[in-house]
Amino acid sequence: MTRRSTPRDADLFALLDRLDGDGPTVVSSVRQPAALKEALKVAVGLGLDTNANDATVQALRDRLEAFAQRRALDAHYAAHPEARPSLAEVAQAAAELDGDPIATDAALIRRAANEIVAVRPGATADDVLVYAAGLRSRASA
Amino acid sequence: MSTPPTTVVLDNKAVQALVDVNHRKHRRALAFIEAANQRSGRRRPPIAVIVPVGVRIEAGWDRSAPGAAELNRISRARDLVLDGRAADRAAQLRQEAGVSVVDATVAQAAEASAGPVAILTSDASDMRRLAASVAGDVTVVRL
Repeated sequence: MTRRSTPRDADLFALLDRLDGDGPTVVSSVRQPAALKEALKVAVGLGLDTNANDATVQALRDRLEAFAQRRALDAHYAAHPEARPSLAEVAQAAAELDGDPIATDAALIRRAANEIVAVRPGATADDVLVYAAGLRSRASA
Repeated sequence: MSTPPTTVVLDNKAVQALVDVNHRKHRRALAFIEAANQRSGRRRPPIAVIVPVGVRIEAGWDRSAPGAAELNRISRARDLVLDGRAADRAAQLRQEAGVSVVDATVAQAAEASAGPVAILTSDASDMRRLAASVAGDVTVVRL
């Protein structure tokens, strides 16, 4: 009888790290909506990727990388709660990365972060920046 | 209108801030990683975080060392290797801007990566001078 082992973060990271090498590949079938398959074909034709296989693998890898990183960050914050950036700090960083002019108004970003979590507890940095842009637009109207 | 980057390049100081939980800019460095993470899987292009191999050497970032496991995991930064052609370009950039070897590889990495590119650094003035010399849409973000 085979026993399925409990999934571990270390296994996930080890497998993701192996993706950078020329490891073995396998063929697998995935049940997917027919429209998704067609949309992928059209998107590849429009230049999304060189072929449907590459596009699928890259999309899946991006999703797994983001999931694994999320777990790593949450574990880091659990061990070091003071290291967790606030929503306003993440929004500030996002604005600076984007070269968004709103990055120069840290007070507005903080206000937007404070206000948006009252109505949307799961707000993201981009939600904050949209909200902040709305506040700025309203103020200048 | 602003253009979100598709690549973030880490310099030595950014790596130092990420690796040391007691570093005064640790939380700010994490905010940039968080921003990149939040955008992945949403209806926006994911942001790739890369680290030139020269930066890893300068920062003492040995991925195989047990102490590097957390940095490997939280940054998910991919290596940008330096081959002969890239070294030639980095040498040109170093000559033009009069910067360190590692800074020149950061600029070369930015030039070689999918753009727009943001360089995360605490040495913004040198890096801005370098960014002006490279081709492509490269901005410098002060850590």
